[in-house]
Amino acid sequence: MEIPYIVNARKDTGLINSKIAIWLFLASEVMLFAGFFSAYVYLRMGADYPWPERTLPVLPGLINTFILIASSVTVVFAWVALKLGNWRQFQIYMGITVACAAIFMVFKGIEYNVKFHHQAARLHDYTVVEGHLGYQKDDKEEYVLDRNGKKIEENRIRVVAEKLTFSVKRFHAPWVNEMLSEAEHAKSSIRLIADIKAIISEGGEEETIAKAGEVLSIELLEKIKQVQLDALAHNSALRTDALRMEWKEAKLANPSKRGWQLSSDVNIDMAALSPRLLTEISTVEFTVDPPTRLLFKPRDIKEGAASSTLRDATVITGAMEASPMVFHNLDAIDFQWLVMKAKEKGISPESAIANSWLMKNSKFVREAWTWHIARNENRQAQLTKGYGLKEDGKTPKRTLTHKELYRLGWKDLGEMGVEMQQVKIGGLDKIKEEFMGPNYKARGDKTFPHLSVPREEIRHAAKFTPAWNTYYAIYFTITGLHGLHVVGGALVLLYYLVLGRKMFLSNPEWFANRVEVGGLFWHFVDLVWIFAFPIFYLM
Amino acid sequence: MSAHAAAPSGHDHSHDDHHHEIPFWKKYIFSTDHKMIGMQYGITAMLFLAFGFYLMMVMRWSIAYPHQALPEWMSWIFTDSWKARWLQDGKVTGETYNMFGAMHGTIMVFLGIVPLGFGAFGNYVTPLQIGAVDMAFPKLNMVSYWVYLAGGLIMCASFFMESGAAKSGWTNYSPLAGFADGQIVNQWLAGQTQWLLGLICLITSSLLGSVNFITTIINLRARGMTWMRLPFFVWAMLVTGFLLLLAFPPLEAAGIMQLMDRVGHSSFFMPSGLFTKSEGLADLSGGGSPLLFQHLFWFLGHPEVYVLLLPAIACVAEIIPVNTRKPLWGYKSMVYSLLILGFLSFIVWAHHMYMTGMGAAVSTFFQTTTVLISIPSVIIITALLISLWGGSIRFTPPMLWACAFIPMFGIGGLTGLPLAFNLVGLHLHDTYYVIGHFHYVVAPGILFGLFAGVYHWYPKITGRYMSGFLSHVHFWPSLVCMNIIFFPMLTQGMAGFHRRWYNGGDAYLDKATAATADGANVFANTVAQNIDLNIVMSYGAWILAVAQIPFIINLFLAWKFGKKVSSDNPWDATTLEWATPTPPGHGNFTFDVAVYRGPYEYSRPDCDKDYYPQWEAPKNKTQASAYESTDKGHH
Repeated sequence: MEIPYIVNARKDTGLINSKIAIWLFLASEVMLFAGFFSAYVYLRMGADYPWPERTLPVLPGLINTFILIASSVTVVFAWVALKLGNWRQFQIYMGITVACAAIFMVFKGIEYNVKFHHQAARLHDYTVVEGHLGYQKDDKEEYVLDRNGKKIEENRIRVVAEKLTFSVKRFHAPWVNEMLSEAEHAKSSIRLIADIKAIISEGGEEETIAKAGEVLSIELLEKIKQVQLDALAHNSALRTDALRMEWKEAKLANPSKRGWQLSSDVNIDMAALSPRLLTEISTVEFTVDPPTRLLFKPRDIKEGAASSTLRDATVITGAMEASPMVFHNLDAIDFQWLVMKAKEKGISPESAIANSWLMKNSKFVREAWTWHIARNENRQAQLTKGYGLKEDGKTPKRTLTHKELYRLGWKDLGEMGVEMQQVKIGGLDKIKEEFMGPNYKARGDKTFPHLSVPREEIRHAAKFTPAWNTYYAIYFTITGLHGLHVVGGALVLLYYLVLGRKMFLSNPEWFANRVEVGGLFWHFVDLVWIFAFPIFYLM
Repeated sequence: MSAHAAAPSGHDHSHDDHHHEIPFWKKYIFSTDHKMIGMQYGITAMLFLAFGFYLMMVMRWSIAYPHQALPEWMSWIFTDSWKARWLQDGKVTGETYNMFGAMHGTIMVFLGIVPLGFGAFGNYVTPLQIGAVDMAFPKLNMVSYWVYLAGGLIMCASFFMESGAAKSGWTNYSPLAGFADGQIVNQWLAGQTQWLLGLICLITSSLLGSVNFITTIINLRARGMTWMRLPFFVWAMLVTGFLLLLAFPPLEAAGIMQLMDRVGHSSFFMPSGLFTKSEGLADLSGGGSPLLFQHLFWFLGHPEVYVLLLPAIACVAEIIPVNTRKPLWGYKSMVYSLLILGFLSFIVWAHHMYMTGMGAAVSTFFQTTTVLISIPSVIIITALLISLWGGSIRFTPPMLWACAFIPMFGIGGLTGLPLAFNLVGLHLHDTYYVIGHFHYVVAPGILFGLFAGVYHWYPKITGRYMSGFLSHVHFWPSLVCMNIIFFPMLTQGMAGFHRRWYNGGDAYLDKATAATADGANVFANTVAQNIDLNIVMSYGAWILAVAQIPFIINLFLAWKFGKKVSSDNPWDATTLEWATPTPPGHGNFTFDVAVYRGPYEYSRPDCDKDYYPQWEAPKNKTQASAYESTDKGHH
């Protein structure tokens, strides 16, 4: 049995099978990306916050665009070379294509990496601050290391645990292990507060499952969990039987009534049942002695002054220490959202900004803002000079944008540093900044200062990841999926390049067909980028 | 010409040869033969259908007897600890009901009917009907089955997790679906996340499948198999393929975005200021749009209805001409209607969303397109109905089901018309009326069509007939019970019963004044008047379950003990699948296939037989010229 039209086209359709298939597949891909791009439009149209415009580094994006276009050309050359039977030339062009893909992914990787290390926080008054988180330092300005010798990022909730209450069914073993290691490191012990006693067989005596003072371990929790699960299963079966019995009797006693008419009268006789039930243990309590500081990621914990709850329902009793988010390098101050909200309420932007937590608590921000306002007046004057006034003779034809008015990005801060603090920056460092973002080392603390934000001022915080806002969410989703397509396509092309020789020799036409199909996919990958680049980088 | 039409023994022999050549695992498990893959799809899909049916029975118990423990004949399947986790004193809880409801819908739609209609029948029959040796990409075909199975298992595995399976309805609307199971620390092990992962597998599978089907139909048609000679079944598969190809990807996009919302904490579908009972003010960026999810979901969701329907109509359209011994009435208009239907199905999706407040102009547009799409559907059904007119009908088992399909689907379709209007939606939205409507389409409609297909092609697949007696025992109770289940739903729905009540409306009863006929609580009285229908419907469901037992027995016993077919073409049919040996071996045909005429040439006056197969060369000049003129007529 042989499938026809693999190498030679069918006469009436003029197509080989794989050519049809790839076009169909691409049609489906178009619909997939259409779904994402329409999501972009929908999210941007409906955004209830200032949509970030032109925040991504254009230069690397632009270079990537040209690289991808170039690779689309070379993949065609590679195919032509095959058609001419020139293996060597095919190798060269296909090699360039795959190399282009690799360069593209390297740029993409750098861009992603910068984002993953860039923190942003929205305060309760809708001020947004951005920058680089620091690591905890001790009094001698040396990094504090955790028990694994790693620096501790200053975005942790710190709780001094005195008592731990675990949910027997839901405790998350990795977290328990983490607490155990932390306690061991701090030379404290986590011990059971009271004896755990339970009836574990029907009609049996109460038995001690674990004694007070027993040390916390996963095994101990697992043992109690098993007791609990057995008890639940046993009790549930008993109660089910009891309920069935009650219903049987109720129906016999009231043959004319419907089930729903009887329902409020039918109840399990718990007094009769309770001697047969097993003990259910839903939580177990441990003391931590001496109390030990535990660190948690903000998302894992609902913190409170005296007790906090983890996502696995573990309750930690003990005081929460001050857990500020510390920007070691603040690199953007953004009042756009605050102004938007203020205008909705009829408050003037100036007073809203002046009353914001940030202006009240940071000398640097006040200075920077004064500089910014002076510069804005200058810029506006130049705009007015350049474009003139409207017909009413008062309003300028061009005004500064919302973003220019209310956001101080890292480039603005850099400009201010150079102007005000005489910070010197080399040309090479400047080019590097175009790719890697603000250069804290070269510009120093004078440009990008230290800022500590108390936890209670923060409404929402995240790295520059999908969690930060819907712009980054759609940006990462589309470019990430595009990146996967680049990698997938490049792997296929690489396969042709490395392992194609044999097929080229035995069936050159078939091999050329394959490369053609791979090339079509490659063009599509290029096309997606042609759409993605302007909407994320330029608009 | 027709040596293949007789002497099945010779083919059995060649079949055995293959058996020796191909190792077991390659022949039955990792097979690349479209027929074996079709059977794999069929068996898996039927198992999923049975599972989905079981979930529904548990739900129906909860609706009928919300205060009574699940009876042992249904609950024996669970372990004690599972029951302790998910049942309250043996009663179905609201949470469990939601879980079963969401999974019932998902399983029936994505794991049951689509794989049975498109995956099983499409795979088995399409290449045979166009005279191809196999699908264009046999390995891809195998992969699509395994990806489908993986997707299904991933989804169902979540029943055994701490979180349980997905609970947010088969539509999985955000923000509910976005934060459901949020208490689970490792989100990858939450049922709601597993649902999305499973869905992405299923979409990938159907994408591979549809590319394969369309390519096969375009490029592997036999000599002489012009477009207008394609059996209607193949046309339906072509359109279904395009629907899957183009409608599924936006849902995949939505699925990926919802996955990002769950594991990447993004807010694609999470609005600003979301406050939930479990989490309080959600720690999210907000700014997303729940409506966006609904748009993307229903962009798939509506074409999906036709993905379910078309294979069933396709089966019926094949069975009716064979059993009436006359051509399909209006073949061409059916084909064109099908194409228009396929196109229109892409622009009706928002009629599922009238109540979202998306605006009157948008609603009006979708109301118009929705009314428009009823035209091609009615043309197809009418053509099928007229095809019966004046035929010498043979009430074979497949024909019974095919005949029942028409009125049952008719009720489903007609009850849908009122729902097209957004004003009516105000009253009927999310009531049991909607449930009744689409279950009429899907259960006694589509499933009957697919049952018809099973009875029809079974002799080709196995070389034996299914028992006629058992099929009657299967058919009549099924027909009655389907109506007992679904007709009261229309009544209840119009009375205002909400589709998601896990206790069948019990909570709305005013039990204190229920005895008096005219209590002040009007809605409680309405509920009290209609609530007993719940029990009727539930009994209908359980009897329906019993009625499927003869089918299962028949399906397995006939394989070994059924009456053997006397020829390769036991129904005296005209389409190409009957020109193959029984069962068809690897590569399908034992002769060089050529097609000489349209697919439904029954009772031609110039023929001695009452059927004139597509593959038989014209015997004399009159027939040849007749063939030429019909051929011209088809273009």
